[in-house]
Amino acid sequence: MRQEQSERLAASIVEFCRFVRMHGLSGDLRQTLTALEAAKTIDAGNRQTFAAALQAALCSTKDEWDLFPQLFAAFWGESQSRPRSASGERKGPGNTQGREAGSSAFLNQHSNETASQDGEGKAVYGASAQQRLKKVDFSQLPCDDLASLEELSLRLLRRMSLRLSRRLTISNLADRVDLRRSIRRSIAHGGEPIVLAYKGRKPRKNKLVIFLDISGSMNLYSLFLVRFAYALQARFKRVDTFLFSTNVVEISDLLRTRHLPEALRKLAQRAAGWSGGTKIGESLQQFNQRYGRKLLSRDTVFIILSDGWDTGEPEVLAAQLRSVKRRAQRILWLNPLLGLKDYQPITRGMAAALPYVDVFAPAHNLESLLALERFL
Amino acid sequence: MRSFERLGYIADRSLATAVYLIAKLRKPLLIEGHAGLGKTEVAKVLASMLETQLIRLQCYEGLDVSSAVYEWNYQKQLLAIKIQEGTDQTVEEKERHIFSREFLLERPLLQSILAQDASPVLLIDEIDRADEAFEAFLLELLSDFQITVPEMGTIQARHIPYVVLTSNRTRELSDALKRRCLYHWIDYPSFEKEMRIVRARLPGIEEELGMQVVRYVQAVRQLDLAKPPGVAETLDCAQAVVSLGSRRLDAEVIEETMGCVAKSMEDGAKLKAAGTNKLLSQTS
Repeated sequence: MRQEQSERLAASIVEFCRFVRMHGLSGDLRQTLTALEAAKTIDAGNRQTFAAALQAALCSTKDEWDLFPQLFAAFWGESQSRPRSASGERKGPGNTQGREAGSSAFLNQHSNETASQDGEGKAVYGASAQQRLKKVDFSQLPCDDLASLEELSLRLLRRMSLRLSRRLTISNLADRVDLRRSIRRSIAHGGEPIVLAYKGRKPRKNKLVIFLDISGSMNLYSLFLVRFAYALQARFKRVDTFLFSTNVVEISDLLRTRHLPEALRKLAQRAAGWSGGTKIGESLQQFNQRYGRKLLSRDTVFIILSDGWDTGEPEVLAAQLRSVKRRAQRILWLNPLLGLKDYQPITRGMAAALPYVDVFAPAHNLESLLALERFL
Repeated sequence: MRSFERLGYIADRSLATAVYLIAKLRKPLLIEGHAGLGKTEVAKVLASMLETQLIRLQCYEGLDVSSAVYEWNYQKQLLAIKIQEGTDQTVEEKERHIFSREFLLERPLLQSILAQDASPVLLIDEIDRADEAFEAFLLELLSDFQITVPEMGTIQARHIPYVVLTSNRTRELSDALKRRCLYHWIDYPSFEKEMRIVRARLPGIEEELGMQVVRYVQAVRQLDLAKPPGVAETLDCAQAVVSLGSRRLDAEVIEETMGCVAKSMEDGAKLKAAGTNKLLSQTS
């Protein structure tokens, strides 16, 4: 009888584990086993203890921790400790499909808007085209060139990251004696440390946080800047990419893929408010609150790609940049408008931001992006 | 739960259950939460409850094997080589000698594996500060509880340690590590719980004053500071108020003890901006 009861409980727990996995907990088989073991060692009759044990076993982040009580109540019922039939529970909380509509704009609008333009960049072909394409302002680009520029940009940017990483290894010279290895080698010479072994300084890769403006005024550039972010991943220990206009959306996970076109498609689905207004200060504030402590440290380079047309308060922007600057190693502000001959950074937002920015550079064509190598 | 309380640590049921499970399932427990809420304390109390040794490894950026696991005593080795010079030992014998236990400096992780008579409590503090490479190494240690020293061979744990990891969530830990651990999130305590902590830790404090301080700190927590005060700050603040000889919290005392609660210039300014009087009104 008891045997049967405990088997029933075990089955329910397994069912429960499957249930929580379906509703957003990330547990795997190992955690299910832990949950079973945990339930065996405690008094499963005490609901509170039982819940606490399962919570300890099945959660592994704060988000999961916070979600758990709700899931527990949904599955095991509000007060009785007997599970309801699990099949009826499938709808439950956490319908996270997200918005599908609203944003293929990023990918399409670009070619629509520029198709008719005929100024600086005509469709160009052949070897010399590469040189030319490098200099074309992204916003002046006819759509015929789009494909070849995309390909070229990816190739060049990739080469740039490769060069960067090579440079690091060469400068990796010996600087301290490695006592451990020296002693090991000295045994052959009767304890005389003749051949010294050196300990090189390990090249430390920087981390990179990219903060990408996708508001209306930046629309023409955004596509290339996403590519830029993508290509940089090879070079850095970690690259976290965020899109913002009035809100912040993290897209790091999408970019950590080998297949970029696929990622771009998903990206268009994820970002809401493409081509809306800009609130850099408020977006940075959101970023600081949610990700700041986790992502910013002394080895982080923070890149903002934006034209500085800000509809928010400049004071907020300044305060938030200050707090980024305190944690990060360096702030780079890339502004596509710097490519215009007579541009002066006098928009209110830009003026407020400049004191905190270490490098202020253009980002309107491929050449300018490639020139950034120096600062990274 | 009660045995925790006897040792001056106020735990709720869910923490007590988690700690009970460490002992029963022999799985590591990962405790996350904001700073100053007693994460480290859990391990200390667990150790004194089980009457066993506490071995602590404080993580920091760049922590490597030689300061976490073991290191050879080079000076001693060099001397030993010199001393052996005259003898007619073969090179192999010499090597074996200078790479014996005698020359091994045990660091926390090796200590925990080598513990002789009972399972120690191994506290790996602020694991989020160590880098990913170290985390991967730790993963290996936590699954096998053995350490390989190339010159000596593999050392297997005699008594599997109870492991407590703490993290301030300055970065996300790897999934593999999290899956291996039980998890507990410590949140800011409720008023009643915080009062019990104050009573347990500062037995001399007057009830009324304690309540005022706790209400005050809880109000400050709502202010959206960069570093909200934890329980440690509550205790500091209460202690400071008592030391100043005050019997109740007033504007002056709050001003004087501001450093206990707000730990940066910006936070201090925010606290002032919120108005001492408004905060005071919430304490009674």
